[in-house]
Amino acid sequence: MSFKGHQKQNFIIDSANAFTAGRMSKRDFLKNLGVAGVGISAYSAGLLGTSRPFFGNVAHAAENTTPQEVADFLRDAGKPFAGTTIRYTSEATPPTNILNELKGEFTELTGINVEIEIVPLEQVLAKATQDVQGQLGTYDIYYLDQAWTSTFSFDTIDPVEYYNSNPDLAMPGFDFDDFSQPLVEGICLYNDKWIGLPFDIPIFTFMYRKDILEKHGIEIPRTYDEFTAAVELISAEEAENNIYGTGLQAKSGHYSLECDWSQAVWGHGGSIFGADKNFSGNDAEGVAGLEWYMNLLENSPAASVTSTWDGQWQMGASGQIAMCQSWAEFFPGWNADDSQVKGLWEMAKPLEGPATLRSRDAVGFGEIPNWGHQGGSSIALSRYSKNQDAAWLFLQWACSKDIMTRCTLAGGFAPMRNSSYVDPRILARKDLEGSGTTRHLDTVKWTIDNAMASEPDLPIWAGVANNEIPTELGKLLTGQDYDGNAQKCMDQIAKLVDAVVDEADLG
Amino acid sequence: MTSRRTWLPNWLTSEHPLPWLFPVTSLLLVFGLYPVLYSLWLSFFKRNPATRIEKFEPSWNWSKLLADDRVWDAVQVTFTYAGIALFLQLALGMAIALLLDSDKRGFGVLRALMTLPLVVPPAVTGMMFLLMYDSSFGVISNSLYALNILSPENPILGTGSTALWGVIVADVWQWTPFMVLIMLAGLRALPREPFEAASIDGASSFQSFIFLTLPMMSKIIALAVLIRGIDLFRIYDYVKVMTDSGPGTATETLTAYAGTVYFKSANFPYASAVALATLLLVLVTSTIFIKLFKVRF
Repeated sequence: MSFKGHQKQNFIIDSANAFTAGRMSKRDFLKNLGVAGVGISAYSAGLLGTSRPFFGNVAHAAENTTPQEVADFLRDAGKPFAGTTIRYTSEATPPTNILNELKGEFTELTGINVEIEIVPLEQVLAKATQDVQGQLGTYDIYYLDQAWTSTFSFDTIDPVEYYNSNPDLAMPGFDFDDFSQPLVEGICLYNDKWIGLPFDIPIFTFMYRKDILEKHGIEIPRTYDEFTAAVELISAEEAENNIYGTGLQAKSGHYSLECDWSQAVWGHGGSIFGADKNFSGNDAEGVAGLEWYMNLLENSPAASVTSTWDGQWQMGASGQIAMCQSWAEFFPGWNADDSQVKGLWEMAKPLEGPATLRSRDAVGFGEIPNWGHQGGSSIALSRYSKNQDAAWLFLQWACSKDIMTRCTLAGGFAPMRNSSYVDPRILARKDLEGSGTTRHLDTVKWTIDNAMASEPDLPIWAGVANNEIPTELGKLLTGQDYDGNAQKCMDQIAKLVDAVVDEADLG
Repeated sequence: MTSRRTWLPNWLTSEHPLPWLFPVTSLLLVFGLYPVLYSLWLSFFKRNPATRIEKFEPSWNWSKLLADDRVWDAVQVTFTYAGIALFLQLALGMAIALLLDSDKRGFGVLRALMTLPLVVPPAVTGMMFLLMYDSSFGVISNSLYALNILSPENPILGTGSTALWGVIVADVWQWTPFMVLIMLAGLRALPREPFEAASIDGASSFQSFIFLTLPMMSKIIALAVLIRGIDLFRIYDYVKVMTDSGPGTATETLTAYAGTVYFKSANFPYASAVALATLLLVLVTSTIFIKLFKVRF
């Protein structure tokens, strides 16, 4: 299914007319534009501030199911802090969006007000960096992408330690062991310290349009080679319909490009760092990975080079692409009731590359090469907060079994807690095809438990992953430099990254 | 009144300039001079991004800056951007001002309308142009595709060779009216007699423009160029909103690079050095310009 040009224009015009006449909400208007494939560059770059795609339905989690003992605890423990306002800044992640809707329940129980500033990821980083630099305590809670865990490891309080040392503030039945162990290791732990609590887990899986694969008689690809062949075939055969084999999140200078690239490197048996702690993306495996990625780009919509995850999601929603190795959290939105491609997308385990994965002994800084890149995040208690106890109550509430399960019910994204996967409400939606489906969660859990890849843990990684690597990759992919030579580009990145590592005395 | 003067020190009386100058001078010192001096001080420290320890090493960031290829690329982009945008704004500004320099009915309204783009925040202008450049439905992109000037395979802002032009067009759209207003003010203040004399002597409109208008307007033009030029050197909004310095570093100006070093790499001392280098560049360029064109304020 794909929009023809005139259909798309009419759809856009109708949506715009409805919006300006007040018959359509801003959110629905933006959603329609997304569905029409509008603004892959525009919206992803600016208007939506590279937001994560979220088309959940809070109504699915509207019923307040907070256990009585938890509610009683929050009422009692929250009394001394009634009237306090705690603040945190976050990317527009699906759980944050839902939490923002549900936070009133917490305020009602405790009297503690919660302000959530939702901004694009790069601004979250900038704000958190400013806060810790001046030890300002402007934010009581930090949203930490997994790439920043080590960067902010000095600035947060270990939640397990806080829980144990403050029994009066310890939520009954909080159960740290219920958190998925791979997620705790991949997102929260640094030097054996819990930096925060697991909060969100976008992870790479393989997604495909079953109708298009069937049309061309293509078996569901399981390897990079099969995927590449299918991408090339579909891009060639469906050129008239403006459908491409795949689409990428290859925006120059953006972290999304670094995520795509690192998966390509791991999939080809490479790694970002070697055991000697030098950048190793420029070895044969790393270069093979980048060359493979460059070939994919040639078979992707042109807007891939201006797209982040939001743009890539829109490609899928608009019927512009047939397959996608990317964030599993795209799936619920593509299956939303008003989606143009509802029921057409399916999810499979992540693709396997042509080479054996590099072992963890052969890489540096705790990197975990594997098939499914994780982009998880945690929420952490600020060491500089002036309302630590009140913020701690909120953190426990936000990451409690009940709230985390309800977040998944509303958004369809992967839960952090093992108990959520077997919650009857989650299981009941497994057979759903449209909005609120959870039929993809088994694959997501398998990927988390068996194939989750993690970027290296080093305090300068946030900068390197957001600046040096994606900027130089952008130069290569848009033809600004390196004459299309992947090796040259990787050598330059190696020079830059090694210099930063040396400057930080980490080499 | 008389008794007050007897016990107040002279420098606190209304006759003395100090009480009048103090408020604004303090504001300038606090919000202008202090940040510059603090940035300078900060730029003398070497920061370890891992430990966040800053060590006093005055030459570290400045040597790094001189050896940083991205800085030199950014200088080149900054000059290219400022030069092209300034030329276009000046040429279009003068041309439009000449067209609007009339007392005929309706021209006053047209002149007032010219100010409209100036009230739009630059970030919003950037977003507007993002829409117009969109390869799916953007009016500019689709017009260029229809004319076979560009193809959808090369999005304007996603292609190294066109991205900078894309940003420049937004800047020109927004700031040409500023030039128009300055030029109009100058044109309307010119004495009529030399033009009447030239007309009697048989000079054409073009000759009058070249030999009378331009020389008489030279000071105003120089001033307008100086003001806009300084503004253009510190361009940030359009680049941040429209391209975020990309693709690659195709639109990375010095200020944008300083922002990247500050916000993405959290290397505050080095970001300060880059920002101060921008200031230095502006000061040197504008001083040369002032001397060369004998601009008087």
